[in-house]
Amino acid sequence: MTPDSIRRERRAARLALLRMVFVVLALGALVPWLANAYWIKTLTSSLALAIAAAGVALLYGQLGLVSLCQYSLLGVGGWVALRVGHGLHWPFEACVVAGGLSAGVVGMLAGLPALRMKGLYLALVTLMLAGGFQVVISATGFPDGGAGFLGRISGSERLMLPRPALAQGEGAYFAYVAAWLAAMLALLELHRRTRAGRSWALIRRGEAVAEGAGVNVLLYQTWAFGLAGVCAGVAGALLSGAVGQLDGRAFAASESVMLFALSLIGGAYYWAGALVAGLLLRAVPSLLVDLGVNGYLAMVFFGAALLHALITAPRGLAGQWLAAFQRRAAKGRA
Amino acid sequence: MIEIRGLTVAFGAVVAIDALDAVLHAPVCGLIGPNGAGKTTLVNLLSGFVQAKAGEVRVDETALLGMNTARRARFGLRRSFQTEQVVEDLSVWDNVQSMLDHVPNRHRPADAQVHRALEHAGLLDCAAVPGAELDLFRRRMVEVAKALVGEPRLILFDEPGAGLDERESRVLRDAIAAIPDAFGAQVLLIDHDVDLIAAICTQTLVLDFGRRLALGDTRAVLDDPVVRRAYLGA
Amino acid sequence: MPDLLPFLISGLGVGAVYALSGVGLVVLYRSSGVLNFAFGALGAVAAYVAWSALDHDWPLALAALAAVVTSVAISLTYGRLLAPRLAERESTVRSIGTLGLALVVLGFTEWFWGEQPRRLVLPTDAGAIEFADVRLTYTRVLGLAAAVSMMAAVGLLLARTRIGLAMRALADQRALSSILGIRVLQVDTAAWVISGAFAGVCGLLLANIVRLQATVLTFLVIPAFAAAIIGRLSSLPVTVAAGLIIGMLEAVAVLVPGLAPFRSATPFVIALLAIVLWRDASRKA
Repeated sequence: MTPDSIRRERRAARLALLRMVFVVLALGALVPWLANAYWIKTLTSSLALAIAAAGVALLYGQLGLVSLCQYSLLGVGGWVALRVGHGLHWPFEACVVAGGLSAGVVGMLAGLPALRMKGLYLALVTLMLAGGFQVVISATGFPDGGAGFLGRISGSERLMLPRPALAQGEGAYFAYVAAWLAAMLALLELHRRTRAGRSWALIRRGEAVAEGAGVNVLLYQTWAFGLAGVCAGVAGALLSGAVGQLDGRAFAASESVMLFALSLIGGAYYWAGALVAGLLLRAVPSLLVDLGVNGYLAMVFFGAALLHALITAPRGLAGQWLAAFQRRAAKGRA
Repeated sequence: MIEIRGLTVAFGAVVAIDALDAVLHAPVCGLIGPNGAGKTTLVNLLSGFVQAKAGEVRVDETALLGMNTARRARFGLRRSFQTEQVVEDLSVWDNVQSMLDHVPNRHRPADAQVHRALEHAGLLDCAAVPGAELDLFRRRMVEVAKALVGEPRLILFDEPGAGLDERESRVLRDAIAAIPDAFGAQVLLIDHDVDLIAAICTQTLVLDFGRRLALGDTRAVLDDPVVRRAYLGA
Repeated sequence: MPDLLPFLISGLGVGAVYALSGVGLVVLYRSSGVLNFAFGALGAVAAYVAWSALDHDWPLALAALAAVVTSVAISLTYGRLLAPRLAERESTVRSIGTLGLALVVLGFTEWFWGEQPRRLVLPTDAGAIEFADVRLTYTRVLGLAAAVSMMAAVGLLLARTRIGLAMRALADQRALSSILGIRVLQVDTAAWVISGAFAGVCGLLLANIVRLQATVLTFLVIPAFAAAIIGRLSSLPVTVAAGLIIGMLEAVAVLVPGLAPFRSATPFVIALLAIVLWRDASRKA
């Protein structure tokens, strides 16, 4: 029934998905052999943050929505994971899922009021939320084994969140996080290639067009928000497992702003962009420290890169590489 | 069949449609009139983007005005816009399939419906081409194809051939004319191209200042001296 | 009740800065559709310039002038060189561009001056006046006076001058305005200059009231966004009132038992409430 061109396109899409999963899993397996302990820890954080970046990229790339509170949602996910991990002693995977779903719900609630307004208001609402979360979390801190709602332990030593049995060591945990990254990227990609992605594309074209096609615009926007929130929550839970605890003072609004900026720089339209964003957020600053370069110069560079990305290359670094790769592939075919 | 009774649409003090009564039963109906006559407003009303101040509309015996836009799409209402609305980063196939995502397609599998629509519009050879790479003619044909999936009942075309040359207009015309027989849907066609209207519409409604100027057999309407004076300039 | 007064007065000081920042943000937004996320960063760099000048024994007036000139210069450079490259894009994208500017300015400031917190001690801190049991340093008084006069000046500019009229026209219809002969470039320049000047003054005041640290100052502008939101990004009087009220509520929140560690969340809560309650009025066209 379907023409050959469509059959070929669908097969190419399936292959691209498998290739993506394979590359990420391969990274998970190989990097522990190549890197030292310090770098494995740094790259583990990068991979976890890449999941959060993928969520931000989804919102911007698919719907043009700016979310400046993704790092705060990461904090929400981490908080829930730590609370159920310490308090209820759930297995690690359940903590991650709980963290992801909670952040997803919070993300949906956060986006809802602003979705019917000008796009700029959404950016402002999320910025307000990030600011508010910063204040609250610095005051309450993260759960570390105590009782009560906040789960804080006073006096005695803070408890670490136990890692899953088969991912105790640094290298093993790195591979574990890579597996989660592959799964989340695949989830997003599947959304993009099916009804959700088409509906988002219609909304991008114009809300009137989308409504004329019977799309429930609010539903699909909210769903995207929920997905982005789930990405943040999963990332937060994985980070809490990486270090064993999270610091309430490390969740400033500026972190969400940086995460957004780097997601755009990495590229909001291609999965590798999220990976680039994660690396820029954690690995590159570590590299600079290693080389004796001041981290703040990196910030100057990122600001310039963001402007560049907005002005000349809306598809971001990953998109530019992809385009270059496709050009070479097309030349190869010719 | 479209039954309109006492329809009034107003934007503040401006009355765009004034107590309109019309029964449109032809498989392909034309809707013509000078600029500002209320044609697009009528289409906007039928598709749910504009509310009526008074009056009722029935399509195939079902009251239309109580339904919201999404429900009307599910009911079988389709419309094209004056400016084409092809999604740039979706392929032609996906552009048409996206129409099917939100309407019932119980009777036929999605792929079969999309294939049939593209075949009718002559777009099978460029099914995988992204919207951004299409020329105007193909984009206009995509708009036609989009209207044909998901058991359409009433299709509203608003100047579907704007910007096309003679050969392209003829292809478009033939595709639209064949829709009632091939897909069982009624077509309401707005256009300024009187030859197009005369060629494929058996019944035509003429609006002027939001009021019905003439309604009936297309040839008779186009020969009507009142219509000629108001619109055709004879 | 009398216990509230010192808090209200001190809140008024911060609130005046929020109000001033809010005006600076709204004026630029109304005439160019750009929400300046770099407002705080511009204030920060201005404050550091003033600090360096004072450190080299410059007189206060000259140091303040240098500070404001710096923020105006950066603002103008961005507005004339970079912002036009984004002119075709939608408002959100153009505003995100200023986020890039914020990162550049913030990064440079932290790198050049170092990140240890400092205090911006101004010569006017030495003297003070007593007002109903509250001690207001001359800086605060000057700051309040400056804020009031700047806001009044901008109000007059928009209402009474030709360029003010042009700015209001641009807010509504940019392309149309240029066709009508309004010199878009000239108006843009004025808007970015005003925004930069306001940013500089606010930076000086905040650095004195809170502390001189670039990251803190950059994000201290967020309550000003809250005030601007309440003014629906268009009404200056409402923005001013909102800024003052937010400042005072934030100060008074210290007195509420249990809320003290959360009091700096006050602006955000108010802004969120405002958005939720007034969202119908800001529907997409």
